[in-house]
Amino acid sequence: MRALALLTVILTGIILLYGTQDMPKWADPGSPASIHVSPRYLERTLEETATPNAVTSVLADYRGYDTLGETTVIFTAGISCILILRIRRTQKRKNA
Amino acid sequence: MLDFILSKYNYWIYIILMMIGFYAMIGKKNLVKKIIGINIFQTAIILFFISTAAKSGGTLPIIEHGQGHGAHAIEAASYVNPLPHVLMLTAIVVMVSTLGVALAIVIAIYRRYNSLEEDEILEKRKWPRNLLF
Repeated sequence: MRALALLTVILTGIILLYGTQDMPKWADPGSPASIHVSPRYLERTLEETATPNAVTSVLADYRGYDTLGETTVIFTAGISCILILRIRRTQKRKNA
Repeated sequence: MLDFILSKYNYWIYIILMMIGFYAMIGKKNLVKKIIGINIFQTAIILFFISTAAKSGGTLPIIEHGQGHGAHAIEAASYVNPLPHVLMLTAIVVMVSTLGVALAIVIAIYRRYNSLEEDEILEKRKWPRNLLF
């Protein structure tokens, strides 16, 4: 079983290492991630949001719905933690 | 060849880190060790995304002299990509949320089976006399 897990992990690693051949070079200014939408965020952040910090303007202005969903995730996680940990306690009280 | 290694070695580091986490997830029997494996896996993904933000010669994505001055030309190539940083900020929050829920589930499992070892839990579930408790 442990050998099977190790085999799966090494196979996945080999496939991913093969895939890195097509990845852009590290710190390449012309990589696809750096030329599609992020130049617009950097160039317009001052005139559109009056925020010099581009990370803040993207987080709170351009992609505010993403942050709203993030707060929903935290809320759901907190509620589910409370529910999971409370069920046992009430059942124990009933049995006793 | 040296150029190939120097331009791709960061991906190899993240893949090795991901393999460690993946092995801990599927190879270890202890549930807490599995959760630690999930976190190592997610850390590898976060480092991978952050490394795609790097630009050689770029500085922090905070516009210099941004306040109180007139409009001036901003070169996007001189600041690193802010988008992966934002996305990974969200991913870290999701990672902490999954860690909290997973630890809560592990506490519930320990209260019921008095064990965190996967094979012991499966053994206790397998016996017919224990199926209904």
